[in-house]
Amino acid sequence: MKPRRVKRLHPDQRLDDAMERIVAVRLRELCAFMPKAADPAEVQALHDMRIAAKRLRYVLELTHFCFGPYAAKAARRAKELQDLIGEIHDCDVTLPRVLAIQAELREQDAAALVERAGDAPDLDPALSGDAPHADAYRGLETVATHLRARRQLLHARFLDLWTRLQREGFRARLEHAITERPEPDAVFTSPSHPAE
Amino acid sequence: MAKAREVEGLEAGDAFGVAAGKVVAVRARELFDHQEGVLDTSDIERVHAMRVASRRLRAVLEIFAPAFPGKELKPILRDVERLADALGARRDPDVQIAHFERLRAALPEADRPGVDEILERLRGEQAAGNERLAAALEEARESRLDERLAALAAGVAA
Repeated sequence: MKPRRVKRLHPDQRLDDAMERIVAVRLRELCAFMPKAADPAEVQALHDMRIAAKRLRYVLELTHFCFGPYAAKAARRAKELQDLIGEIHDCDVTLPRVLAIQAELREQDAAALVERAGDAPDLDPALSGDAPHADAYRGLETVATHLRARRQLLHARFLDLWTRLQREGFRARLEHAITERPEPDAVFTSPSHPAE
Repeated sequence: MAKAREVEGLEAGDAFGVAAGKVVAVRARELFDHQEGVLDTSDIERVHAMRVASRRLRAVLEIFAPAFPGKELKPILRDVERLADALGARRDPDVQIAHFERLRAALPEADRPGVDEILERLRGEQAAGNERLAAALEEARESRLDERLAALAAGVAA
């Protein structure tokens, strides 16, 4: 997902003013994915929202010291969102792969059974219980079910987190924080970054 | 995971271009300082640290893009993205292997052959990812990516 272009940035403007513009755009970009991403079926919207959260997080981690105190907290909130959506994304990516392995093994086993049947007019059911990958089916089904269940749980947690952010006033507080400029002696000249 | 290195002397009143030079210089050094031992699959934290550093570098190159001459930035950003993608190709199976090994340990014996099928494929991907990463590191070395990044940063930091 390409980031929205931030207009009127130039090398000579102050860092805090430039970053205010960038954060404002990245914040709008993130919030625009809701309520669409609240629909569990909107996999792509959720994936794009994770990228938007990541972009907001990185810019805030780097320059929160330019703004009011809520900017540092918002960086942590953006990371929470990014991490949680990332876990959901992992389920979305892994489930089709597990299903593909299942399908691949089924095909291989069906071919093996046909070969074993030889010239018989029909398949002897006794052959089917001993397919080459028969012992793997149960585990693959278990993993697929695990991923589906985990995805549902994590998505519910994502909705809870978003509700919490709304109650906290995440968007409005960050929009305000980026207009604040700390007193000169309160400015960190060497910003620290939260752990990855 | 280690915190990002501090950007000393970065101030809110810096010109955007000057800040861009300071930040990119630090993030670029951070990336290459992590390259030792990344091809060692027995220590997956090394590649993780370098991947995180590549993401941070890529992020700051995008954030500060308007401060750099487009003609200079574009090929550098492309090369950083290529290296970051190769790091991801190695890191993603590392993470999945660790996840499925934990899951396997928690499941009954009867479920384990199925998980082993997944793990077998992931180990193949890990090996392929390592080859891709080795090639990307060599490419970065040959194209002097570290020096080009340092020059890009120095060009606007004055």
